[in-house]
Amino acid sequence: MKQILLVTDGCSNVGVSPVIAAAEAHASGITVNVVGIVDQGDLVEFGTNEIEEIAKAGGGLSRLSHTRQLSQTVQMLTRKTVVQTIQHAVHHELKQVLGASSIEELPPDKRGEVVRVIDDLSETSSLSVALLIDASASMKPKLHAVEEAIRDLAISLKSRQGSSELAVFHFPGSAYGEDCKLDLDWTRDISGVNAIFPRLQMRGTTPTGPAILHVIDFYQKADYGNRKNDETDGMMSDYVV
Amino acid sequence: MTTSFDWSLPRGTPIRGKWKQGTYRVERPLGEGANGKVFLVERQRYYYALKIGADAVDLQSEVNVLQSIAKQKQKQGSKSGAFLVDVDDYQAADGKDYPFYVMRYIKGMTLGEYLQRQGKEWFPVVGFHLLNKLAELHEAGWAFGDLKVENVIVADFGRPELVDYGGATAFGKGVRQFTEIYDRGYWNAGSRTANAGYDLFSFAVLCLQLHEGRRLAQLSAGLLPQTRTQEELAKLAATSPQLKPMSGWLRKAFYGEFGNAREAAAAWQQWMHRPSRERSGPGAPAPRWMKGLFAASAVVLATTVYWLLRSGL
Repeated sequence: MKQILLVTDGCSNVGVSPVIAAAEAHASGITVNVVGIVDQGDLVEFGTNEIEEIAKAGGGLSRLSHTRQLSQTVQMLTRKTVVQTIQHAVHHELKQVLGASSIEELPPDKRGEVVRVIDDLSETSSLSVALLIDASASMKPKLHAVEEAIRDLAISLKSRQGSSELAVFHFPGSAYGEDCKLDLDWTRDISGVNAIFPRLQMRGTTPTGPAILHVIDFYQKADYGNRKNDETDGMMSDYVV
Repeated sequence: MTTSFDWSLPRGTPIRGKWKQGTYRVERPLGEGANGKVFLVERQRYYYALKIGADAVDLQSEVNVLQSIAKQKQKQGSKSGAFLVDVDDYQAADGKDYPFYVMRYIKGMTLGEYLQRQGKEWFPVVGFHLLNKLAELHEAGWAFGDLKVENVIVADFGRPELVDYGGATAFGKGVRQFTEIYDRGYWNAGSRTANAGYDLFSFAVLCLQLHEGRRLAQLSAGLLPQTRTQEELAKLAATSPQLKPMSGWLRKAFYGEFGNAREAAAAWQQWMHRPSRERSGPGAPAPRWMKGLFAASAVVLATTVYWLLRSGL
């Protein structure tokens, strides 16, 4: 299962629309979640709209969060999305097997087993989370909280039964038109990493869309090897039927 | 998708189950968990606690936990297993279905309130019962997960019950719900994988929270994420006059040194009954009348011995 988690505090202002980029991610099997940081009400309504749109297009969830609650929000979104992804797949099976289109349509005493399967798969399926961090100038005072949230997420991922990994990117990458930069390649354990963001040069532009495309590309390169693309679906069919 | 469930049910509202037609009348709200709200309800002159939420999957997983625990208890022949009473959906005025489940109602107050009203002397025995509750749960293969002051209800004579099973997690899986300050991962003291040690760690933080809540909050706020350690918690416990008798126990819990909750409960019992834990406090001087009485009885003893020796020889 693949996720992109975008953490931002403003609107994109350069390049392709992030909503289109998120739709592309979704189309290639990656769910996009968005956390909008609101500290002094600096995320105006336009920004709020944008993060909702990005998440909707990316098949994920969006939340506004104060930096103080960032760790919890990141945790919760990641977990919820895993459950939701599994739920979608299970719904698909439900339709075919039981003729019910959702869990709510089943009587309560039949739900137990289905939910047990969802819980089990949510816990055991493999999970990759690419964190995409907005490092535009206004985010500078919040990067400590972001780093803490990443470390906290890493603890939770490590505690899962299924294999989990995370990678970290920030954008914009540099003054020379680089949209996005990889800070941390796929890893299962970041407790040894001293600083995730070493001396970032904050820039004014926010190329959210191009950065998302960059991460999709990164995912696809990683898939080049022997990873199976639709492992969730394959596993589901085995499990439920 | 909404996760917060934010409408209120006024007193007297009937909640009728869509599938089994059971009708409950709302008395008052009891509390709120991450997955829904809990109300005190009445049905045929019995009180129950009813939890209602917005997400059928979240609520059903709680029901699954409760059912699995009940089954385990049945196997062990315990009769207190009838915790879960009913599971159904409520069709609200907005036309949507909201899942709910009904539990036995536990009359009591939260642990914090209980100690405030009844006195802190109750804490050792409540703590001991609570450890045994955890042990029972662990033996069924579950960690409670979100152990905190708000999730412990104490009934008469210091008998605690755990409420809100939203965080309950099968051993070996990642804990589903937790509260930062009680969380082993937050203090860099280990993973969030559910096991006995996870709950015992939270239990130890709960002890700090009850006796040194202010200092615990200051400690958590004052440390950087990387400098939060179990050693800081153990130090806090060691420097607190109130926690002193149990500071050794707490240190072991913070460092995950108990094999299981039964072992932890046995160790708890040991410090509980240690004679050094005097009700009047170890530093209090003996009252004057007691000294006088002691002197008088010493004189009587000496006289008796003298008299015995004299008459015997």
